[in-house]
Amino acid sequence: MKSNSFWTLIVSLSLAGSAFGLTIGDKAPDTAVKMKNVDGKEVSIADVTGKNGTLVIFSCNHCPFAKAWQERIAAIGNSGKDKGVGVIVINSNDPTDYPEDNYAEMQKRAQKLGFTFPYVVDATSDVARAFNATRTPEAFLFDKDGKLVYHGAIDDSQDASAVKDHFLQDAITASTAGQTVANKETKFVGCGIKFRAKT
Amino acid sequence: MTVIRRSITVGILVCLGGWYAACAPTKTVRVEDVRVTSVTAADIQKMVHDSGAKAVLVNMWATWCGPCRAEFPDLVSVAHQYQGQGLKVLLVSADVEAELPAVKKFLADRGVEFPAYLKAEKDQAFIDGMGNQWTGALPATFLYDGSGKLRDFWEGEATFSVFTQKVVKVLGEPIKPTGGTP
Repeated sequence: MKSNSFWTLIVSLSLAGSAFGLTIGDKAPDTAVKMKNVDGKEVSIADVTGKNGTLVIFSCNHCPFAKAWQERIAAIGNSGKDKGVGVIVINSNDPTDYPEDNYAEMQKRAQKLGFTFPYVVDATSDVARAFNATRTPEAFLFDKDGKLVYHGAIDDSQDASAVKDHFLQDAITASTAGQTVANKETKFVGCGIKFRAKT
Repeated sequence: MTVIRRSITVGILVCLGGWYAACAPTKTVRVEDVRVTSVTAADIQKMVHDSGAKAVLVNMWATWCGPCRAEFPDLVSVAHQYQGQGLKVLLVSADVEAELPAVKKFLADRGVEFPAYLKAEKDQAFIDGMGNQWTGALPATFLYDGSGKLRDFWEGEATFSVFTQKVVKVLGEPIKPTGGTP
């Protein structure tokens, strides 16, 4: 019995860190870290902060799930400016094993999809670690006061034509209107972020 | 001296186990013989609790997931090697139902002759149903003991030696490769 309790405790403790990174109400970490944008400029989360909030999405090129949502990410990201929401999409993947995630491919993808917001390289993967982001695409929406009001999926279906709940879009609408976000956290199956080795 | 000799022996056994995993021929399984059942998280939890096994390893994977594909041969080797010693392995694909033919072909190509599973509910319900430690990232592996208690969990790719060490710890037996016969 003691042994079982010990194991439960160990598993619980070891899992706590991986499962519960930022919580609703938290401020964004690592906002001053400069990351290379597809236009060659260095951009931080602080640089893109909007008067009505900031949307940070961890995504990438190679992941089939990220690909499934890329047009929707482009649409939500490109409409951010009109709503006063700053947007930044961060690729934290190590391109060593996934060449499709390298900088040149990111530039092509951003151009093809017509991103009007930064698509940047998290060159150490440490920004993803600071957010405790684990999947792509994974969204974090902060309100005008910089507090996390939504974390999770873009919406509820890989198939754009089958979407019923537009989690992120609804969160942006509510947050920018000063209302409480109904679905604050959602979960979804996705590609794990391919972290670079810690330096 | 005895301790050193025992350590060397254990080391050789582990190496041989690793060599076996790397070199063992993949079992020939026909696609039409692959058995895939649609499951919810509740179904998986019931199977874990009712397994009667000494350890149950649940692996969430998908055909589109690179790290899942990379670790799969090692995972199947561990399943074949330790099934006879009380390990039950539940391979649960997170692919959409339309990909079932691709899932079956993937499993056949990798010699999975034991029952496998396909996620059959919305992501949120499925992830929550597996406990709050899983973020949804693939691959994800849950390791339960015979009483159904979660003893280990990790997200990301693992190797044969990592799977083996964790499984053996829960089985409570010394490392003893059996030559791959389930």
